[in-house]
Amino acid sequence: MLNIDNNSGSIIDMQNVGIRYGQGPEILSDIKLSLKKGSFHFLTGKSGAGKTSLLSMMYLAQKPSRGIVSVFGKNVNFTNRDSLAMLRRKIGVVFQDFRLLDHLSAFDNVALPLRVCGMEEREVKKRVMELLQWVELDRSIQATPATLSGGEKQRVAIARAVINRPDLLLADEPTGNVDNDIAPKLMKLFVELNKLGTTVVIATHSEKLITDFAYPRLHLQNRSLKIFAPNDFTGMGGRHG
Amino acid sequence: MANQKKFIARREELPLKGDSTSLFLQIMISIAVFLFAVTLSGVLSINTMLQNWNDSILGSLTVQIMPATHFNQEKAMAETLAHQDKAVAFLKTVPEIEKVTPLTDNQLEKLIQPWLGDGINIADLPMPRIIDVKLKKGAEIDFIDLAAKLSQATPMASVDNHKLWLNKLIKFADGLKMLALSVLALVIMITSGAIFYTTQTSLGLHKYTIEILHLMGAKDTYVAQQYARRTAILGLEGALIGLAIAIPTIFGIGSLARQIEGGIISEANLSIAAWGVILSLPLFASLIAMLTAYYTVKQTLQKMM
Repeated sequence: MLNIDNNSGSIIDMQNVGIRYGQGPEILSDIKLSLKKGSFHFLTGKSGAGKTSLLSMMYLAQKPSRGIVSVFGKNVNFTNRDSLAMLRRKIGVVFQDFRLLDHLSAFDNVALPLRVCGMEEREVKKRVMELLQWVELDRSIQATPATLSGGEKQRVAIARAVINRPDLLLADEPTGNVDNDIAPKLMKLFVELNKLGTTVVIATHSEKLITDFAYPRLHLQNRSLKIFAPNDFTGMGGRHG
Repeated sequence: MANQKKFIARREELPLKGDSTSLFLQIMISIAVFLFAVTLSGVLSINTMLQNWNDSILGSLTVQIMPATHFNQEKAMAETLAHQDKAVAFLKTVPEIEKVTPLTDNQLEKLIQPWLGDGINIADLPMPRIIDVKLKKGAEIDFIDLAAKLSQATPMASVDNHKLWLNKLIKFADGLKMLALSVLALVIMITSGAIFYTTQTSLGLHKYTIEILHLMGAKDTYVAQQYARRTAILGLEGALIGLAIAIPTIFGIGSLARQIEGGIISEANLSIAAWGVILSLPLFASLIAMLTAYYTVKQTLQKMM
């Protein structure tokens, strides 16, 4: 009998997953991955290695071309649209290109995940103001993304990703554009969330980040995925070769 | 903090207000409601007219007494009047009949005046006499049986229950009504189609925003409700404009119809209930627009992950 749902306790489970676009070759092949609840991983790989594709399957933006992807124990191929939406509410995503809505203020952008869930406006206001103060954007609540600097946009994007206290946080280069002094603060936020039980995956090119925060690393190379222990820099290139 | 007070004005996540399909949709709905209101007023007028005809005809019939032929006109007239009296006497005994009124010479002259002109002496002509018969309200009468009994009372009498000429008019009016109803169905179909395609175009324009909303956990219903709300408002505004233009048009057509003499078309007045239906069109249009937009969004989003 076909096992539709997986209740092994993994937040994300991938079995023999391949992904291709159109009739092109596979970007990722035979990916096997199991992320336990409360784990913290970095995701590395050269540009074009498929980091964003892997993340997009995790945040349910696309289904695999083959294989099985289970998120929160649900096989995405057998989950209906409304249930996928409910799963997405438990996932916070920081996109590399931020994906903020340009016609909305910083406040409204951050409030989006809460309003989508139908939260009361008073509670929305309280939570968003608290978080915007924490990421030092309380003076820009009315500003639209077009008037914000790259670093500010990134902080809005991060605030939006964590506002709903997600069970799974996926971040694509979350500290790439922020100033050196705020990057550790944002990383501290991710670490704190992780301590509270959030499973975290951070895609990054930053060796400093990987060195400073000793977490295991998922590495994409030649369409396949390998897992390295903390401080093992195999395949990273640069000074760690 | 001063800033904190200002941001309360929440902006719509989907910026549908300024989108280029809005104006098109409004114009489309205005035209549709205008056509719908004018055509509907025609249908409702025809309905009123048919009802009036039916009411006036169902409760009455005409008895005709053929003139007696005689060299002596006076004798002939006396004989004809005697037949008329017999017919009247018989008709008064029928329980379903409320009132029997033989037409006077004066009334008969008026009836033939359009054909023969003024100055006609009815006594000089072999004119049939006419008896107007009013039936009791709700009474049903067997016309064939009545005609048979009446011919026993006087062989010169014949019964006309108006059905023949009325049926032809009713068929004509029904034909007009079907044509108008087809136009109404066509207007609804075209408008729904236009809303379907403008909504799809708008979904294409806002694909990026909708993707973000989905990634934040929005269900299709959340997006569909925003479209439904916006389309309902646009539809209502457009429909009110269409109706505002349609009302003077309906009055204009009505006044033109009243100028046509003959009494048939002038009976085509709109009742208060008919005006109620026409004035409620904007709500009806808004509801159709809203439902079409809602289900278009739901159906189109099904194709996205």
